[in-house]
Amino acid sequence: MRKSLGAAGALVIASLLALGPAVRPAFGQAVTPDIDELKKTAIKVFLDCDSCDLDFIKTEITFVNYVRDRLEAQVHILITTQATGGGGREYTLTFIGQNECQDLRDVHKYFSSKTDTEDEIRRGLVKALKLGLMSYVGRTPIACRIAVDYAKPEAARAGRDRWDSWVFSLSGDAYLSGEESYQSHMGYGSFSANRVTLESKVRLGLSVDRARQKYVIDEDTITGTSSSWQASGLFVKSLGEHWSAGVSLDVESSLYSNIDLGLEIAPAVEYNFFPYSQSSRRQLRALYTLSLNPVRYRESTVFGKLRETLLKQELSLTLDLREKFGTISVSAEGSNYLHALDQYRIDTFGIVNLRLYKGLSVYVLGGYSWYHDSQRSLLGREPTYEELLLRLRELPMTSNHFVAVGFQFQFGSIFTNVINPRFGSSGGGGLSVSIH
Amino acid sequence: MKNPPTRKTGIAALLALLAAAIVLVPALAAAAQVPPPPAGAPPPGLPRVFLDWPGADIEALGAEIAFVEFVASLEAAQVRVAVSPLAPPAVGFEIAFTGLKEFQGLDNKLGYAPAAGEKPEDVRKGVAAQIRIGLLRYAAKTPLAKDLSVRFLDQAKPTSVDDKWNFWVFSLSANAFLMGETQYKSGSYYASISANRTTPEFKVRTSVYGNWSDYWFDLGDGNAYESATHGYGSSALAVKSLGEHWSVGGYVEAESSTYSNLKLTLTAAPAVEYDVFPYSESTKRQLRILYRLGFSRVRYLEETVYFKTAESLLQEALSVAYEVVRPWGKASVELEGSHFFHNARFNRLELEAELEFRIWRGLSFEIDGSYARIRDQLALPAGGASYEEILLRQRQLATGYSYSFSIGLNFSFGSTRSNVVNPRFGNGGRSISISM
Repeated sequence: MRKSLGAAGALVIASLLALGPAVRPAFGQAVTPDIDELKKTAIKVFLDCDSCDLDFIKTEITFVNYVRDRLEAQVHILITTQATGGGGREYTLTFIGQNECQDLRDVHKYFSSKTDTEDEIRRGLVKALKLGLMSYVGRTPIACRIAVDYAKPEAARAGRDRWDSWVFSLSGDAYLSGEESYQSHMGYGSFSANRVTLESKVRLGLSVDRARQKYVIDEDTITGTSSSWQASGLFVKSLGEHWSAGVSLDVESSLYSNIDLGLEIAPAVEYNFFPYSQSSRRQLRALYTLSLNPVRYRESTVFGKLRETLLKQELSLTLDLREKFGTISVSAEGSNYLHALDQYRIDTFGIVNLRLYKGLSVYVLGGYSWYHDSQRSLLGREPTYEELLLRLRELPMTSNHFVAVGFQFQFGSIFTNVINPRFGSSGGGGLSVSIH
Repeated sequence: MKNPPTRKTGIAALLALLAAAIVLVPALAAAAQVPPPPAGAPPPGLPRVFLDWPGADIEALGAEIAFVEFVASLEAAQVRVAVSPLAPPAVGFEIAFTGLKEFQGLDNKLGYAPAAGEKPEDVRKGVAAQIRIGLLRYAAKTPLAKDLSVRFLDQAKPTSVDDKWNFWVFSLSANAFLMGETQYKSGSYYASISANRTTPEFKVRTSVYGNWSDYWFDLGDGNAYESATHGYGSSALAVKSLGEHWSVGGYVEAESSTYSNLKLTLTAAPAVEYDVFPYSESTKRQLRILYRLGFSRVRYLEETVYFKTAESLLQEALSVAYEVVRPWGKASVELEGSHFFHNARFNRLELEAELEFRIWRGLSFEIDGSYARIRDQLALPAGGASYEEILLRQRQLATGYSYSFSIGLNFSFGSTRSNVVNPRFGNGGRSISISM
């Protein structure tokens, strides 16, 4: 940044008004500003961001005060992200004025690219935050110590997109771990080709993974292997702010699911009760899919089949809300086979994370699934003891569930300005959940 | 044995998918020949501002605020700025910003109060500085944003706030995680209380925690396998800062754990740390050397392989940690060695390293590995572990080493700068996370 400033023979404007105190009458008057006094009246900010480098932001932006509770803040900055067509992320920075700044609201955007590194992304985000904060900072006396630099661009940096919005990505990962009596190997490879525009979306992908665990117990060796591969294609056409239609094509093979080769062609239609343009903050989507699925099994199934063709319908409902009081995300999905309507499956999932009142936050996260003869690919034989304990094979189920609940109550100092890295920053244990 | 046919069908499936893609792609490319500008695209050029300030020197302002264009008519403007003197007896100006056209609804009010006896030219500059700050939010929504930057001219102490709690933060949290299916159930619970105080001069972290887990497997024929593990503990850390490079402090810890065969261990450990780089650069780079001398009194749950049920131990540990985050990526390496004084044969050496590196544009790789040479498993129970405990990893096992290694390579090309967001049919990019 600094280099480009110099090279461009930049026009730098610095408000060198150190002695001209710019004070909003409402905030009183400081005749000779002492910086530590100014800092006391600086804007109180609540940064609400799951994927930000908060320590970096706090060390780079020091002209505000950070607080740990949203109700104390004069501005609540809610940062939500969504994937972009180029494989990067769109950061939506919603500035919500509160208390003395209730009248002031703003939305800024920052885009990161897939090829950006962590450092580039956090610097870009800091810049967007600084610009967005200025409307609030202008109301406090510390504004007189802010300089604005503007580097006039040399020439228009417009680019034609010769790839016509196609993005290709190839990746491979290997993971090994072990000790004397235990070894685990995992490998994963994938290729994807995506084209995302506002009018349509195409995603093509191929992935392969393999895993192997080995235990040595009393000179016996127990080995567990799992492997699968999958190829998928999706095409979605936009039909206005609420409707979309599309078709997906998937090919898969999985040891865990006893599928030697399965092919699935599925046309689908989706309705979003909120306009798609608000999707970073709120969505309520209903998706109906009809799929044709010829499949060949590895071993004979509980229904005594080695191959069959399944026709299935599926309806799913998803609600995602990201508000200043927290996050709500709930979904329900039901499917059944058209040749046997009583063979159905229902999956529900929900996550609610609320900042209820000063310092108190709670979360509930859970899912429940009902299976009614819907596990068509289930093994005909009993799994071995090792397959059971190592969870290498899908087991017959009538239901499955998980639930996590927790709360946190914090009190004491509201300020979180200080970064002290000495002796490392020890994590306090606890729980971290991330869903993509 | 089943591999060859799988691979063949895999290739056939891939070919089918590619064929489908080939049919789809030209159709799509034809459909999207002329990409319209994305909705909500920023207006091109400098924001046009109409200034309503009788007697203002527009030319001087234009030079000071180069990132906007001052226009003569309100019709052409995107922002209206009105400067008016406050009603007597108040002294100063009110500056009202009104967003027009695409900036509709983006309004703000800032103020400027001159100090007693301030020269008219300084007053004018003061008002101009506030206008500049107020206009930044509009410029930030145009492509100009990348040429603008904001600097704070001072360094304010993060502790310059009025805080009645004197930086103490208290936190209570409790979490439960339960899951199950027809033949498997498990539950984990975690609770903690912590009190922390962080200032640049001194850091105190204290906590008390407990965790419990239980498992249940249905082995068929009316047999079930059940087990439970738990751990409790408390820890305290105090660190005093001694300038930009040195810190001294100490740990006090208590722990009980079924996994590690510990009934109760009490540890007190003074420590000293040196950072080769100043601590204030910690979010960019650090090279920390930490020496710790620990005295422990240990009581075991079961007699150990060394025929002990309790013992007192003195241990020293030295670790060197390097971390750097730069535009090319990030790297970290940590080497730690420790040994017990009563018999130097009981020692441990651990190396951990991580590297994320962007080689060229869309080509990046990451490596992550650790290796430990273990000669200090004093707590291993003489009785060993059961078959189930080994498979479920519920017990620490005898080993001379442990390692983990992972490598990933990613190559992306094409329209990686595309900022289009298309959330239809889900975009696999929304993330929800909870951390307590």
